[in-house]
Amino acid sequence: MNFSRIFHNLNYAVSALLFLMGLYTVTVKPNLIKKLIGLNIMETSVFLLIVSLGMIPDGQAPIVTNGVRPSMMVNPIPQALILTGIVVAVSTTAVALSLCIRIHEKYDTLDAFKIHGRGGL
Amino acid sequence: MSVSAHHPVLLVAVPLFFAALCPIWGMWRREACFPWALLGVVTTGFFAWSLIGKVTSTRAVTYNAGGWRPPWGIQIRIDFLSLLLICMITGVGLMVLVYSWRYVGKELPPEKITYYYTLVLLILTAMLGFSITGDLFNFFVFMEIFSITSYALVAIVGGPRAVRAAFKYLLMGATSSITVVLAIALLYSATGSLNMLDISNRLKTTSYLPVAGVALVFFIAAFSVKAALFPVHVWLPDAHSIAPSPISALLSALVIKMGVLGIFRILFTVYGHTFSDLSSTWSHVAGVVSWAAALAIVLGSIMAIMQRDLKVMIAYSSVAQIGYILLGITMLSPLGMVGGLYNMLAHAMGKACLFLVAGSIIYKHGLRRIEDMRGLGRTMPVTAGAFALASLSIVGLPPSAGFVAKWYILWGCFQKGNFAFVVIVLLGSLLSAIYCFRVVYYMFFAGARERGATFDEAPLTMYFPAAVLSAGTLFFGVFAGLVIPFLSNACRAVLMR
Repeated sequence: MNFSRIFHNLNYAVSALLFLMGLYTVTVKPNLIKKLIGLNIMETSVFLLIVSLGMIPDGQAPIVTNGVRPSMMVNPIPQALILTGIVVAVSTTAVALSLCIRIHEKYDTLDAFKIHGRGGL
Repeated sequence: MSVSAHHPVLLVAVPLFFAALCPIWGMWRREACFPWALLGVVTTGFFAWSLIGKVTSTRAVTYNAGGWRPPWGIQIRIDFLSLLLICMITGVGLMVLVYSWRYVGKELPPEKITYYYTLVLLILTAMLGFSITGDLFNFFVFMEIFSITSYALVAIVGGPRAVRAAFKYLLMGATSSITVVLAIALLYSATGSLNMLDISNRLKTTSYLPVAGVALVFFIAAFSVKAALFPVHVWLPDAHSIAPSPISALLSALVIKMGVLGIFRILFTVYGHTFSDLSSTWSHVAGVVSWAAALAIVLGSIMAIMQRDLKVMIAYSSVAQIGYILLGITMLSPLGMVGGLYNMLAHAMGKACLFLVAGSIIYKHGLRRIEDMRGLGRTMPVTAGAFALASLSIVGLPPSAGFVAKWYILWGCFQKGNFAFVVIVLLGSLLSAIYCFRVVYYMFFAGARERGATFDEAPLTMYFPAAVLSAGTLFFGVFAGLVIPFLSNACRAVLMR
């Protein structure tokens, strides 16, 4: 296995690691807030992946002026995507947290196993 | 450009405008929200209607948002499948909205009525946008709008079980949404484009096919959660049975179809199956989906038979019907695909009708258990009759739309020579006959005397939408020739591309 390739693509490796950490937290941890934190870690890992796709070392803003070569311009699309993605992630988290408040009101706990025990379903 | 050239974008802009102003009307008068929402859906329906002629005469109507040409700007592309879906969304949405008026007035606390109509308009907007867009990231944004809206709508009653079901739905839905973004990122890194047709062209020449293959797997896994395909359907029975009945109808008839549309767009519009290097991955993915769908048919039906609560039973029946739709689509025979897509239409009308009937029974008598439905056929003849008619379509008996759909699926199975699927499709029909006709039996034939035979029907605005939807299943069964030729042309074009 060639470790230098992983080292040169560290951003992708870290993003994959973060995604798996998030997925583990969402699926395994019983506390609902921890599940939400796991969800946010997953989101962040994907944002890291997308932002680093458009990254150029010493790149410049994609505005056409004299002296800026197109090959040095940073791709603006991934950043635009991430802005939208962050808005979406924030609203998902907001809805989830408000649901957590309601769940705590109704069940007096945020532990998924205890909620399951008290639920009538 | 005349106004009619802008109809594709108005299809999204108009309901969004109505949704944005709905809370302001609600601040003034709560009663003003319902007519406002109704006006919004009717106006949207007009734009959908005006597109029917255009799409059926040309192959697809395209519209470049903001005038930017496709690989750079967002393109709206309405092909025949999009047209079918926007007609379903506006039609079923209108019926559900009419039904909501009396139901919501009784079952929801008055301060939530404004939010209810706003969210219903938003969810319709997002589904319309999702079906017509030709841009992958726009696809994701609309998907998130209808997902977040549906979490809120499941929780809107506010009881302990409702918030629990909504949270479960949110966890699974959000995880799948993140997986979609990940897949979009991978596909973008492999092709450098976000327009679906452009990606499809670039995939033929790209040297990053393994990345594209991984993206395909992530896409299908994520949209399977939205479509409630068998192993990841666990959120559906809770969410769909606990939501208010008109919302159950919307979720079951339309929202899970969006997951199916996602799978269809990814498998056929974006990836196609003509690449030499990706075709084995592609056909394996399609094969896995078709077997998961076959399992969904059998196990969803068995779970439905085991239920005692009417709404949970109908929800499990949705798992089985999604199995039929996806089995037809991923069978890779044109006839099977026609059947799968036609079953989307049949299931949208039939399942919306079943949930509306279940809601009428809750509204009128507060009954949820199937054994308690004795004699309702005498006292609520229109409601129970609509249930029986829609059951015919769910089971797939002639002359309903469900029969046409299942006939084509079966025909596709024979064409492919896959006799395991033939057995499963027939077995699924048999099992759905058991769970549907058990309810019909209790309604019409068991213990009618106990309840007496006085006419005691739900309000007109509640039984009329259910009756219209069940008549729709009959209409599209008898006049299937109105849709099938276009559908089979579209499917042949997709599979031969």
